[in-house]
Amino acid sequence: MIAEQRIQDAAGTGRPAVEVGNGGRMPRRSSYDFVVAGGGPNGLTIAAYLAKWGFSVCVLEARPEIGGGAENVEPIPGYSVDPHACFFYGRGAPGLEQLELGKYGFRTSPAPGNFIAGPSGAAGGADRSMKMDSIDQFLEMGFDVDSAKLGLEFQQKLKARLPEFLRSLYWTPPYDHRWGVAREEHPSVKIFKEVFPAWDDSMLDMSLYEWIELMGVPDPQKCGMMINAWGNGPHPCWKGMAIPAFGVGELMSYVDGMPVTPVGGMHALAHAMARCAIANGAKIFVNSPVSEVLVEDGQAYGVRVDDNSALQEKTIRANLGVILNMHVKQLPELVTRGSFTPDFIQKIDNLSLKGGSLFVTNFVVNEFPRFAAVPEIDGRPVTSTVLNADTPRLLELMRDVHSFRTHPTDPDHFAGVWYICHGAHDRSRVRGGNGNYVLTLNLQVPAPEDHRDGPDAVNRAKDEIVATLKAQLREYAPNMTEDKFVATFVNTPRDSEIRNMAFVGGNWMGMRESEQEWGQNKPLPELARYRTPVDGLYLCHQTSHPGGLVLMAVPYNLMHILHEDYEAVSKTTPDWWYPSPWHITDKEGAR
Amino acid sequence: MPQVEFPTQSETDIVVIGAGPNGLIAAAYLTAAGFEVTVVERRYEIGGGLATEEILFPHHYANTHASYHFMVDYLPPISDFHLEGEGLRFHKPHGQMGAVVGDDYVYLTNKLEDSRDYLARFGLDQADVFGNLVQRFTKIVEDILAPATYLPPDPPVDLIEALGRTQVGEDMLEVSEQSALELLDSYPLADSIKATLLYMACQWGVMPTESGMGFIVPLLLTRGMEKACIYGGSHRLASALARVILQRGGLIIDNAEVTEITTEDGRANGVVLEDGQAITARVGVLSSLDPKTTFVKLMDPAAVPAEVAQAAEGWAFDKWSLLSVFFALDRKPTFKANDANGMIGLPDPFMTLLGFDSTDDVVSFLTGIERGEITKVAGHFTCESAFDPFLSQKQGEHVAFFQMPAPYDFDWEGEQDRIVAEVIALLDTHFEGFAASVLDTVVENPKTIEQRLPNMVRGSIKHGDYNPLQMGYNRPNTECSSTKTPIEGLYLCGASVFPGGMVIGGPGYNAARMVCADTETKFPFDYPLNVKRYLATYFPEGKE
Repeated sequence: MIAEQRIQDAAGTGRPAVEVGNGGRMPRRSSYDFVVAGGGPNGLTIAAYLAKWGFSVCVLEARPEIGGGAENVEPIPGYSVDPHACFFYGRGAPGLEQLELGKYGFRTSPAPGNFIAGPSGAAGGADRSMKMDSIDQFLEMGFDVDSAKLGLEFQQKLKARLPEFLRSLYWTPPYDHRWGVAREEHPSVKIFKEVFPAWDDSMLDMSLYEWIELMGVPDPQKCGMMINAWGNGPHPCWKGMAIPAFGVGELMSYVDGMPVTPVGGMHALAHAMARCAIANGAKIFVNSPVSEVLVEDGQAYGVRVDDNSALQEKTIRANLGVILNMHVKQLPELVTRGSFTPDFIQKIDNLSLKGGSLFVTNFVVNEFPRFAAVPEIDGRPVTSTVLNADTPRLLELMRDVHSFRTHPTDPDHFAGVWYICHGAHDRSRVRGGNGNYVLTLNLQVPAPEDHRDGPDAVNRAKDEIVATLKAQLREYAPNMTEDKFVATFVNTPRDSEIRNMAFVGGNWMGMRESEQEWGQNKPLPELARYRTPVDGLYLCHQTSHPGGLVLMAVPYNLMHILHEDYEAVSKTTPDWWYPSPWHITDKEGAR
Repeated sequence: MPQVEFPTQSETDIVVIGAGPNGLIAAAYLTAAGFEVTVVERRYEIGGGLATEEILFPHHYANTHASYHFMVDYLPPISDFHLEGEGLRFHKPHGQMGAVVGDDYVYLTNKLEDSRDYLARFGLDQADVFGNLVQRFTKIVEDILAPATYLPPDPPVDLIEALGRTQVGEDMLEVSEQSALELLDSYPLADSIKATLLYMACQWGVMPTESGMGFIVPLLLTRGMEKACIYGGSHRLASALARVILQRGGLIIDNAEVTEITTEDGRANGVVLEDGQAITARVGVLSSLDPKTTFVKLMDPAAVPAEVAQAAEGWAFDKWSLLSVFFALDRKPTFKANDANGMIGLPDPFMTLLGFDSTDDVVSFLTGIERGEITKVAGHFTCESAFDPFLSQKQGEHVAFFQMPAPYDFDWEGEQDRIVAEVIALLDTHFEGFAASVLDTVVENPKTIEQRLPNMVRGSIKHGDYNPLQMGYNRPNTECSSTKTPIEGLYLCGASVFPGGMVIGGPGYNAARMVCADTETKFPFDYPLNVKRYLATYFPEGKE
């Protein structure tokens, strides 16, 4: 029914009807309203938005499978592992309801517990998923009385406005730097100022670390917040990033403090996005690497796919625009030569790929870890625990990674190792039926391009790192002796880079999220509104604001921009669309 | 109210259990016929045996299950939905089989005259015998077996009467009565050629000496020389079918294990999923699972007629399964040239057969496998990435597998390492520096096949044994072989129903037609031309 509707819609608007309905053929010359290069979460989401909006859309993915970092693999039978992203941070995304992902099978599973375990030997820890609604809880965690009072008031005010705060921070297109909007006038800062009882404008210059020190947050809570920020975006020590680095920690507790994962893993989310796009008429082709974005007279008019692609047509034309779900660093090599000025290419070259990246170890184990210091839920371990979480050790690790540009070798520096076991509370992960489970241990290491000893250094040290991670798990869960490990699958940042061409440099975040490379400066001030110097060519990747984490934020924000740029978009605004209330159009901003 | 998560209660016309090839084919046709269809799949990925996965982790993909596609020239959904071209392309290598048997090398292609040229080295008479055999078998397949795949089976009496109308039909009846070995023995073929053909006919689970299975020989020999791979992996076929379903408003829900098929007043009316979600089916439920799982495990015993339950209990799973050893290699394997048997300069065949000495050897090997013994390591090898560059994401590196019939009841834990070492040694004998080129190895044995794809109970790649009692009108039993079951609203659409497995699509196609017939809904496509011709020839007065 939808397909027939689409034919009619296309007929009504005078746009070419791309094959839909009862077995139409690919037209001799393939053209679409929008061509999306890259089938990661951002590419799939923008395709779903545009297709549901009524446009003909084609997604071209290089790999044999869509989903990009939202992937699951089953390297041994019955056990689905997450080599990359593994928690669902996007519950605040307007796209969830606008694209009706639930209709396409999307379901979430609670991932209870988010425990922080201090250094081995030290008793106790902190449960980050606690409600934090009484002063006693703060005192129990080691806050002093004044800090506890402040913390409680902040939590209470924040709770009431958390969705608003996060949507202003993530699901709002960044403002153009030329408008000169003062930092404190940005919507997320305005809201934060209203909920934080002891606000002082100097906090805008602070790092997360400085700010939580000032607030008197004790370890291991402090270390947990820092780990969360580092693992998911802005480094906790980067100046001027306190609010975004704090915000990233709140994404997971969007609804009720309970972290969730998509039932079956992150790839299920990619499936829902893709199915929404396809049901609305989009075409998705895998094994179809885009080798060039075609530009004529400064206007993008299509793409060329690799000669090996199974598509008959090697040139796919875009009537309205080309959307790149690709790393910003891929722009110069992909777009027809001569499309950019040398200084612009230089600026892209200068973008830093430094920053941590995750060494992901998936183990198949034949027994749950029995943590001495972490409570269990229904006789099973909590889903997520940070091990060896202690601020001094974490700072040592950060120095290893950022300053010494190497991975840790001293076991003491394996700080903030993130233990995750989705199968503990989501049966869809463990189908093998012989009592085994999958668990994950994540460790921060340098992005390969930044590693002192070359991009393969971490790969060469795989075995040692895995052995140390196992030993560390054993310190917290002594039952995890060697015989409990059935199989090991490691995805290093370098592997990610080989497996997935858009993880340029192997950096999980795409690129550094420092103040100079964030918000209205991300990835460059002139690219922040998702436009590029080439007309009709847009960026839709985690290297644009607000970055990664499968938030469906980049595509939502990009829709605002396309709404401004194309009459065909603004004139056909559907009733299900609502923009960010903080969005400022270029016309408004320029005034 | 927009849906943020899939509702715990939902309603649809038809629920299809299992998103394997047949479930998807049935769903595609039913959405095209105008039904609202929801496909529920237990795994995290659709496709069932159409699986292309990164099991050689990281960055090497393999077709973990179906890799050789025998029936792409006939599969109705490919032409009905114009699937080919839309990111789905088949590649049919010219060299189809290269068999090292003893000191001989039997090289077969998808062009008869090329095969005969290579076989003439065994004597001009051999090329002629082979030519006659292929011509005879091709007629049987083209006129009868291929079209009959996409029609419900007939009771033996009716079938004998119908086939009696032509000479090819009479021939087909004669062939059917024999065993594969008897049939091949009736040709004066050199032993190494016979061994090759016997392996091709029996490798997927037919005993060479089993009478009444002779029809499998024409089918698997002629189609075995027309094998195709799917560019970008077998999973592309599943994706293409899924696209058809989604474009027509159908839903596919993965990570959704069915724990119950519900009935009301003797009518199947929906399913319940493991997390308690209920999907109501207004028109019916199609199960692509085997009869034991469908009727015994998922249904209230009171709702299942005694004879159906009894037949389901007696269902025999495949007599053997497969052992597959997948390799990531740092180079493309090169056959060690052997001038003596003339294999120099021949392009890599799609399938290479290794490890057998004679026809007797093939028979005694398969007899051993049926008994649960692995008497030697012998089987077929394919370097998949030589035909499909997308399977290796790292340039220059390759993906290959060795596969052989293997018993389910076997000490895999204790014996697997030894067997894999023997496999590598065998490959090292035939390919330059093979052992040294191995980067990674992943083994799928019959038990792990069952773990990955639990509907392949006991590693049954065809959901149930191929023997005369479970074929044709008897598959899975006389009550259900038309895809319709005695339980109103419940249909079978998987490999356990006529005509069987191997991604031939018959069960899914037939089930969709049956649902349309039962609901007096117009089936949106004509029969393919070869099916029309078959009906006109053998059932001029119409078929029940």
